[in-house]
Amino acid sequence: MKRFKIRKLILLTLLAVFACSDDFVVVESKNQNTENYFNTAEEYELALIGAYDLLQSTYLNVMLGEIASDNTLAGGENATDVPGIQQVDDMIHTTFNQQLRDIWGWMFSGVNRANYILEFQDKTDFEGRINIIAQARFLRAYYYFELVKWFGDVPLVVDKRINFGQQFEVDRTPTSEVYAQIETDLLFAIENLPVQQQNVGKVTKGAAQALLGKAYLYQEKFGQAADVLDTLIASGNYSLIEDYSTLFENTNENNSESIFEVQYTDLEGASFDCLQCSEGNVAVGFQGVRSYSGPLFESGFSFNVPTEETYNAFDEDDLRRDYTILNIELFAEQNADYNNGAGVTYGEGFEHTGYFNRKYLPRKGDSNIGDPNLTNPNNYRSIRYADVLLMAAEAHNRKTTPDDAQALVYINQVRERAFGDNTHNLTVGGTTLTQAIWDERRLELVGEGHRFFDLVRTGQAKDKIDGFVENKHELFPIPSIEIELTGNRWDQNPGY
Amino acid sequence: MRNFTITIILAALPWIGTAQTISGKVVDGSTKAPLPGASVIVKNKAIGTNTDIDGLFVLNGVSIDDVLIFSSVGFQTQELKVGSNTTFNVVLQEDVEALDEVVVVGYGTQSKKEITGAVSVISSESIEAIKPTRIEQALQGQVAGVNITSQSGSPGGGLDIRIRGISTNGDNRPLILVDGNVIEELSVINPNDVASVSVLKDASAGIYGTRASNGVILITTKQGRRASPLTVEYNAYIGLQQTTRKLATLNATEYALITNEAHAAAGQALPYTNISDLGQGTDWQDAVFQLAPIHNQDVSLRGGGKKSTYSAGFSSFGQEGIVGGDKASFKRITGRLNYGIELLNKINLKASLLYSGTARQTLPENAIGSLLYNAVNMSPIIPLRDSEGNLSRALNMPIEVVNPLAQDRASLNETQADRLSGVFGIKYQPTDKISVEANYQWNYTEVLGRYFSPIVDFGEPGVSDKVFDNLTVRVFDNPFDIYRDYTVDAFINYTDTFFEKHNLKLTLGNSVFRTFAEGFGATGVGMPEITNIDQANLNDAEQIVPKFINVSNELFDSRLLSYFARLQYDYNGKYILSAVLRRDASSNFGPDNSVGYFPSASLGWIASEEKFLQESAFVDFAKLRLSYGILGNDRIGAFRYVSLLTGEGVYVFDNALKYGIASGAVANPSIKWEQQEAKNIGLDLRFLKYFDLTVDYFERKTIDLLLQVQTSRINGVTAPGAANPIANAGSIENSGIEFSLGYDRKFNDDFRLGLNFNAAKLKNKVTSVENQLGYEIGGSFGIGGLEGPARMEVGFPMGYFYGFKTDGIFQNQAEVDAHASYQKIGPSASPGDLRYVDIDMDGMITEDDRINLGDPIPDLTMGLNLSFDYKNFDFQSYFFASLGFEIVRNYERNNPLTNRTAYVMDRWTGPGSTNSAPRVTTAPTTNTLFSDFYIEDGSFVRAQNMQLGYTINDPSAAFEKLRFYLSVNNLFTLTRYEGFDPTTSTGSPLGGGFDQGFYPNPRTFSLGVNVKF
Repeated sequence: MKRFKIRKLILLTLLAVFACSDDFVVVESKNQNTENYFNTAEEYELALIGAYDLLQSTYLNVMLGEIASDNTLAGGENATDVPGIQQVDDMIHTTFNQQLRDIWGWMFSGVNRANYILEFQDKTDFEGRINIIAQARFLRAYYYFELVKWFGDVPLVVDKRINFGQQFEVDRTPTSEVYAQIETDLLFAIENLPVQQQNVGKVTKGAAQALLGKAYLYQEKFGQAADVLDTLIASGNYSLIEDYSTLFENTNENNSESIFEVQYTDLEGASFDCLQCSEGNVAVGFQGVRSYSGPLFESGFSFNVPTEETYNAFDEDDLRRDYTILNIELFAEQNADYNNGAGVTYGEGFEHTGYFNRKYLPRKGDSNIGDPNLTNPNNYRSIRYADVLLMAAEAHNRKTTPDDAQALVYINQVRERAFGDNTHNLTVGGTTLTQAIWDERRLELVGEGHRFFDLVRTGQAKDKIDGFVENKHELFPIPSIEIELTGNRWDQNPGY
Repeated sequence: MRNFTITIILAALPWIGTAQTISGKVVDGSTKAPLPGASVIVKNKAIGTNTDIDGLFVLNGVSIDDVLIFSSVGFQTQELKVGSNTTFNVVLQEDVEALDEVVVVGYGTQSKKEITGAVSVISSESIEAIKPTRIEQALQGQVAGVNITSQSGSPGGGLDIRIRGISTNGDNRPLILVDGNVIEELSVINPNDVASVSVLKDASAGIYGTRASNGVILITTKQGRRASPLTVEYNAYIGLQQTTRKLATLNATEYALITNEAHAAAGQALPYTNISDLGQGTDWQDAVFQLAPIHNQDVSLRGGGKKSTYSAGFSSFGQEGIVGGDKASFKRITGRLNYGIELLNKINLKASLLYSGTARQTLPENAIGSLLYNAVNMSPIIPLRDSEGNLSRALNMPIEVVNPLAQDRASLNETQADRLSGVFGIKYQPTDKISVEANYQWNYTEVLGRYFSPIVDFGEPGVSDKVFDNLTVRVFDNPFDIYRDYTVDAFINYTDTFFEKHNLKLTLGNSVFRTFAEGFGATGVGMPEITNIDQANLNDAEQIVPKFINVSNELFDSRLLSYFARLQYDYNGKYILSAVLRRDASSNFGPDNSVGYFPSASLGWIASEEKFLQESAFVDFAKLRLSYGILGNDRIGAFRYVSLLTGEGVYVFDNALKYGIASGAVANPSIKWEQQEAKNIGLDLRFLKYFDLTVDYFERKTIDLLLQVQTSRINGVTAPGAANPIANAGSIENSGIEFSLGYDRKFNDDFRLGLNFNAAKLKNKVTSVENQLGYEIGGSFGIGGLEGPARMEVGFPMGYFYGFKTDGIFQNQAEVDAHASYQKIGPSASPGDLRYVDIDMDGMITEDDRINLGDPIPDLTMGLNLSFDYKNFDFQSYFFASLGFEIVRNYERNNPLTNRTAYVMDRWTGPGSTNSAPRVTTAPTTNTLFSDFYIEDGSFVRAQNMQLGYTINDPSAAFEKLRFYLSVNNLFTLTRYEGFDPTTSTGSPLGGGFDQGFYPNPRTFSLGVNVKF
């Protein structure tokens, strides 16, 4: 009897013990699963913010695009301060370059985030859905345009993410096919984006037109470029800011000249471990004058310093020069009475030229929350109306049946603003005008990250950039570790 | 079945024949006090009793041929023949190493004799002797094969426990259970509360299945004993700490000479023209190191009624830092209650509650720009304070280097943790053979962080030129996290004996474990000025930003469901077999991969029971052990198999921050259990009465290693808030030999001598890394150097150092010209520069010329205890050593204007001057690349503790025992390593051995008292 009781007890205990089922370990995270998202309009909007986020990491594309060109030198503290940047400056970069790998990784992160929305674009319908899809497609085009500029043929993945495991399945897609996708995306965006968005900072129809024009120009489709840029110009939605000196001040962000602007803020920072996490413009702190004490500006790490040649390329009368390049010695002279006569003081970094990229220098009065050097709020004017005018001028000048008259109208608008009069207007044509447009692009856009790619695109790179090797340096190498990690199936770019 | 029952009933019958009644008293040999609860049994008969509260016993039905066995936990067992005696006054001697000692092995106990696995035990006596501030320190050098490194010597700094090497580049922590409850943050435990620590090193840990692959540590806290009077113990010590070392940095005169030489070498103007006036300058290390107090008090009570036991303990501990004082301090209070009762007949309940509250303040440590880094690199020409009495600014110093005292002042932070842990258990023993037990264990922890960033500029006034500058706004980061976990175990033990000699024990059970956490808190922007972290209040902020926007505040939720079965069998106490099968289901893997089966088995042969050894005068006890098992690991954190929206997607619209969503760490749906094959063969020997020897050889092969692997960045791994995926992508082997030898002899009532030596030799080798590259990288050297100075790579030890090998210094230009070109790695070489070996002989020094330069894993670790008692004096000393490992000297900024250590005085100055340290110059060179020039042998021997005590035993006094002692921790360290402390490491398997100014472990002098009432 007693034994029976014991048996019963054991049985009961066993039952209790083994009653637990494996369901216990089936746990859903309270965080949303990426596969179950996109159920409301708000969720699309939040995912879109995530896709915009990587635009902020393009600070490196902009800075390195200058340093690679004849505009600036690497600078920094010493010759080994960020070796990846120093090597690009000297055109001795190899397949082993951390900054190039950063650009590669960040741009693909942007592509993935845009594709994430597009993967689920038809899941839920709501008012304004097409606007969001169009923005996502613009962003994908923007990131892919950067990728083809830097690396040429890159894996093209459309409307789906590259999940872990799939990196072994994708191949490098020919540049022409990537461009075709960029064009398709931008045409869709032009069709479906409003001229003005409800929020400042969002992509507009004009931005899509401008980027498409640029993509055509890079492919030397001058006729198509002229058409789309003409339409944009004719819309009358954009105009040049009269006073160039105010163009890059933080008080003049998202102005009428700004067709597409990458938004930054000083309200949330990051650390050197995750530069792409900063909500500020990291390039600005990198470009600041070393140990600077004086009016208007704050100090930084003295990277990306313009050469004397760049400074001297400006005409004495050119109003742009002193607001494009800070001549620190001159500036110190002019502000000798600063701080009760203490004047302007600054340190000299590596490759000190005495010139700094004034458009994107740290300004006084920012909150710089997180890190004073990594959280500068200066928005990057990605595509300005002046850029559009010069692109249109080039397109008209170089298209199959050139229209130099129209080209001159456009370029002279830029020059009139630059000199404050029309006495510097050009009247030339043909290839002289072509070169004049290219030179004008340089002066108008110094410090904005376009120069290297303009030199490559126009075939001037070999003559202008020390160390530039033809049929090699037009493209940057795909980081060799990326080739290995995708299964060693891809060819390296020529020459590396 | 019926037969056995009859056997037992027969055995239980009182022996008739020549029965007599005996009585007596059992006393404790060391205190001469009565020993209550001691067991008195008749050998080979089922007769027995326990002593009462006065140590007295009465036993009926004993015959003159019988043998009495007197035993009590913690005492040497005695056997006495009854003979004609009817009264027995028995003195039991304390015995920490007794073979009958009960060892906690997981879901039950075993006598030490029966154990067939590699299990090491540390008793409370050893813990008392070592005087650890944290319980982990009691393991260092005590247990062969267990290596403890401190992440920092700062108060409250973490310690890493590694059992038998490193088996993954991820989480290598062993599973730690305190009275069955998972407690992995051991800083919350008062070491004086601990009764014993068992370390399961081999497949015997298999009863814990998936969680056992890094070994298991079982800690038991002090319990009361039944039928014993209230005992009160009070312990206290107070001490003073100092640094063990200061680095030999240059004084102002030497600094100026070297700095001038560096400028001259590059053709620059000399910065210091009047060197003769400079003198010694500022000694920044003198300025930051200080004497710091440490103190501890604890009181514990224990005792028991007829059917109940109780114990309680309270403690208070405080320690300030030898750098930073109260700015680097740790405070802890703990309270503990244990209660056990036999409620109804055969039903036992136990309950315990543990509270601990800790508060820790820290300074920037072991990083480029940390406080000690700055103390070493700051120019000695800069005075502590400027002419106005303000702390000097670090003018002309690189952006990371600031005045360490200013950094100390600007450091305002505190982390508070409050933890409550509970255990509730019920055990039902319907018969002697069967017990059913269920336990519920839980932890609840609140961690409150208070991190304040004041407005500071460490460099030029009003100029932001230092990385730590914060010129515009005060920010207060105030996270608040709640961690919870619980374990529910239920198991049945069945014990039986068949045909007298076949002993069987079966355990069947299951276990449920869940650990989950939530985060809260916010960051306050625009705070008012404060001078003490206590003043910081989030409500004073101009703007409050919550921690979690558009992501859940869930930090993790991991669960484990396990079933286990264990068979323990022995034949006549001579041949022992133990087999375990465990099935685990873990929520860290996807539903298809969640279940794993983990079998293990061990065999033991007690050779000394065999006839041929029984008569041996040499061997008293000998046991051969063999174990084999498959263990698992699921420690990768929750939800790595599924893609979640936990990334960072923040952008700016309308000039305001907009928080979106983005995917987090890249998911890998196919991750599954990591498996380890553990083999062990061991020998336990007691010989010549006083010697104990244990030798083990082990192999641990881990396959399907769960690694965070590099993957192509086209997967989006570098997006904000994303991370590399986890994959089963490697394998690793650890093998080694462990040896320990003990000698303990009481020569007479006045003199006892104890010696204990242990050593472990370890070999660690990575056998595969399946990520397309064949290696993973970690660590960082200098600033902006090449990626991956530490590697996990096939054929090498985990985390080996990967850099350039040097073969001296270029003495002249001809040597430079004849050597491989430096074109690919930096500026071309000049005489006086380090000469890197062109490993692949391609005439170019490239990244591919980097090789293995050593590793941070010691080849050999050793521990030595020496103790003796003479009359009322007792002395303990305790040493440990780690040999054959390397540390990277990474606390030098190597900037033309920063300070240097003394070796630079022997730099290259011209042909033939030296072949070891390169020239100084302000010109860029390749000398700062990661090479063996920066690698030092870390081998050391440390005198961890020396203690001299004096005990007053005066039965007439109000106390039972009173002991005073003087103790020195960390008296000396013998090492050739030139950094602060070779015993510290970040503990990271990949990149752990990079010394960026480790906070050294202090030397502590303390005076203490133990009182027992």
